[in-house]
Amino acid sequence: MSVSAFYQRFERHAKGLGIKGHSTHYCPGCGHGLVHKYLGESIDELGVQDRTIAVSPVGCSVFLYYYMDVGNTQSAHGRAPVVALGHKLANPESVVISYQGDGDLASIGLAETFHAAQVGMPITVIFINNAIYGMTGGQMAPTTLLGQETATTPRGRDRTAGLPMRMAELIAQLDGPVYVERVALFGAKQREKAKKAIKKAVRLQVENKGYSFVEVLSECPTHLKMTPPEAEEWVKENMVPIFPLGVMKDVSDSITSEMEFKPFTPSFEVEKVRDLILEGAEEKVPRHAAAFPEHIAKEDVSLKLAGAGGDGAQTAALLLTRMAINEGLDSTHIPSYGPESRGGTSYADVHIARQEVLSPASPQPNILVAFNAPSLVKFGPNVAPDGIIIYDSSVIADPPSINGNVKMYGVPFTEIAVKIGRRVIKNVVALGALQAVTELFPEETFLEAIRQALAAKCAMIPMNEEAFRWGRKAVLEGMED
Amino acid sequence: MDPKVAKLKEKPKPFLFPEFCKGCGRCIGSCRFGCITEGTEINPETGLIPVVLDLEKCSGCGLCASACPEPFGLFMRVVDVEEIAKEDLEGVHTFQEMVELFDKADFELTDPSELFGPRETEAPEPEPIPDQWIPFSHDEPLVLKGNYASAVGAILAGCRHVYGYPITPSTEGAELMAKLQPLMDGVFFQAVSEVATVNMMYGTGGAGLPCMTFTSSPGFSLMLEGISYMVGAELPAVFVNIMRGGPGLGNIGPEQADLKLACRGLGHGNSHAIVITPSTPQEMLDLTMLAFELAFKYRNPVIILGDGYLGQMTGRVNLPDKMKKPGIPEWAVYGDLSHRRNLICSIALSEADLERHNIHLNAKYAEMAANEQRADLFHTDDADVLVVAATTPARMAKGAVQELRNQGIKAGLFRPITVWPFPVDLLKPLLEGARRIVMVEASNGQLEDELRLALSKEGVHPPPIQHVRHFGGVLPQQEEIVEAVRKGEEAAK
Repeated sequence: MSVSAFYQRFERHAKGLGIKGHSTHYCPGCGHGLVHKYLGESIDELGVQDRTIAVSPVGCSVFLYYYMDVGNTQSAHGRAPVVALGHKLANPESVVISYQGDGDLASIGLAETFHAAQVGMPITVIFINNAIYGMTGGQMAPTTLLGQETATTPRGRDRTAGLPMRMAELIAQLDGPVYVERVALFGAKQREKAKKAIKKAVRLQVENKGYSFVEVLSECPTHLKMTPPEAEEWVKENMVPIFPLGVMKDVSDSITSEMEFKPFTPSFEVEKVRDLILEGAEEKVPRHAAAFPEHIAKEDVSLKLAGAGGDGAQTAALLLTRMAINEGLDSTHIPSYGPESRGGTSYADVHIARQEVLSPASPQPNILVAFNAPSLVKFGPNVAPDGIIIYDSSVIADPPSINGNVKMYGVPFTEIAVKIGRRVIKNVVALGALQAVTELFPEETFLEAIRQALAAKCAMIPMNEEAFRWGRKAVLEGMED
Repeated sequence: MDPKVAKLKEKPKPFLFPEFCKGCGRCIGSCRFGCITEGTEINPETGLIPVVLDLEKCSGCGLCASACPEPFGLFMRVVDVEEIAKEDLEGVHTFQEMVELFDKADFELTDPSELFGPRETEAPEPEPIPDQWIPFSHDEPLVLKGNYASAVGAILAGCRHVYGYPITPSTEGAELMAKLQPLMDGVFFQAVSEVATVNMMYGTGGAGLPCMTFTSSPGFSLMLEGISYMVGAELPAVFVNIMRGGPGLGNIGPEQADLKLACRGLGHGNSHAIVITPSTPQEMLDLTMLAFELAFKYRNPVIILGDGYLGQMTGRVNLPDKMKKPGIPEWAVYGDLSHRRNLICSIALSEADLERHNIHLNAKYAEMAANEQRADLFHTDDADVLVVAATTPARMAKGAVQELRNQGIKAGLFRPITVWPFPVDLLKPLLEGARRIVMVEASNGQLEDELRLALSKEGVHPPPIQHVRHFGGVLPQQEEIVEAVRKGEEAAK
């Protein structure tokens, strides 16, 4: 016993008592033990025992952690490669081995298998293909050969049960992996190649070259119902023609240092984190409002802005929320989109409260801003008594009459915006009109929020300010432009 | 040096303790000289028939050892006689004699585990690297969407690993993380599915680092298998589920219909997790930070349930005064020497072991239930009618309670902040005064079921329960809650 990557005693195997302390749980002649040995030797020879994490998913080899004296993670069926990625990303210096059987890798875990391979991050995937389900008792595997009798193909696998999956070839088709080889365990020559392939697959990870995949044709004498030597012969005669041996892909020599995986350490620098979170919003914005706009509502003003997707109702609504919070008030904005984010109906509910917004929805708003006719028809009748409606008179020529004391103001948002030169700026025109009609907040509060929102696109500020002023002007001059 | 235990300077030769040979015979074919033959005698220790070695022609090529699948099976060695009891070694000086010694019928290997020493591993006892809290100050409130606020909370809680699969209405959280994490050398990784997402979290959580995901109802369903594994393996992680309309594909409107799933059905087995229900963007930040604390405190996933409205809602958010630099707990499988001993695992093959593990988990759940009940109370002191609601509907309910109070009706709001454990200890005293309960929900009564079950376990018979329910992506509105409470009051008179 010279492999230090194995425990000196298998404490986790029946508590390490008696024979089980030094003997695997595998059946006589099973290929797993050999691959464990080659993996253990490779880990030793590369000197990475302390950094290694072995991931063992469901299958006979789920108990890999009985044996390997490395960090061990047992995972769900089929998910080992992504568990491995989770470990690799947590500690890029770790050496992560995903050790999987055929049911795990080539059936239930196909999505994870392919995705992890194509991501190409340096992990090592060892794939034991023995053409049968061992742990559950000899059922068909995705790699079971045509005609092969199993517990779930009692008359032999036929085409209706699918054809054997050639994983090494499939993985080699992908751009992500750097090294893909299929090896076998029959005969000394194949075993030597298997050992070399496994060591190379681990080495390429240690060198940060990329993803490696080694498929091992292995024997399951128990479920093949053969002696171990017969099983070796069976693999050679029957599996190899379907699963040819050899290197399927090896681009490891062409991986330049720029292409290599670069280990990283996350930052917890407080200044950096603060800057990222605040994103330029750290400047305190002066307050301009003398008091809560109680001429509109006593404690809580509710607004609804509605239009077609792309009208800018959401952006305008968010600006209102920002203004209110800048003024030291509480505010909420809830967007509601139609089925598509563009082209459907889009409305926003905004609340501005002296103390705390209670219900954030605006089923009966104090103020409705309507960008199109359907919105006005739909929401107009729900506006609170003594409420205010402001609508785009460029697109709503014939507004419906609304009951009660609701005041309606038509302002040509679109026409003004087009004149200024950008149709999409009509929501800022609407904000100008809103300010002039309602005096929700002083002019400067609106302009401050607009500048704040455009801090990263300063060039846009003058045009937006102009749109705002034109919106106000249109109201103040009785909409005569 | 004791002459009786002289070391041999021979070429290494195959060596086998018959107890560790399963007689598979792989070695037989590997030997060119026919040194190995099938055995005929059953080994009494194993019940198997080990192979027989006759090393007269052995060249020491080692092919037989590399053909042996057993870690302690055939191996090449120069015999170091010091490893064997000295009295047994009288007259034994060569490798062949050594082999013969072990072949002697009267030699009994009473405890084979003694042969290679008692140790399991040379890896040291793991030591934790403690968390660090770093002062963080910012006075001005931010204007943040609920999903963004949760992401910011996670960053401040030290989370630098975010996995996810896009699903409306939760994606803003992932999008913000995709933007910010790489700038902090953190990780945002879009997994191939929700199934892959939760298993990446299993890996990173297993490495002892804080990780999270943003998802929504159909995606959360897919994660349940993985959550069960995480509960079994006792791994921390935070799941933010911005619930939408179901069942099936449903729609993207807000709903609360995953409460039962989160409280009663976290995958297979006896699994539970703390389930937190924020109702404002501010709480999305604060409670996400709390979720990470609880996840590590209990080594268990924590679920945050929001609804479509809460995820999308923008509001005022104040930042906390500290942020965390997480350490590495002693139990982690981090991939370094100090954690090499560790195992992340949810298997317990023996029934006794699994029962013991479940007893341990249940004791932990009991501790969570005792310590982590949280609720917000509004006008409950003298309430005749108790309105009970969580997440965004709780805000409509709060508005309704205020409105009812303005109308002279003594209503109060009981808002669970944890729905598992249900904050029954905070509810019970209120039931001394309250004559009625009105449940406000965006589901078919899943919160009501939690309330009834919690009270029933306490032996408390609830007062009459009325309900205001919506589902299909619609939330109960303030006016209808007011209406329902008023009607109930009139009926009670």
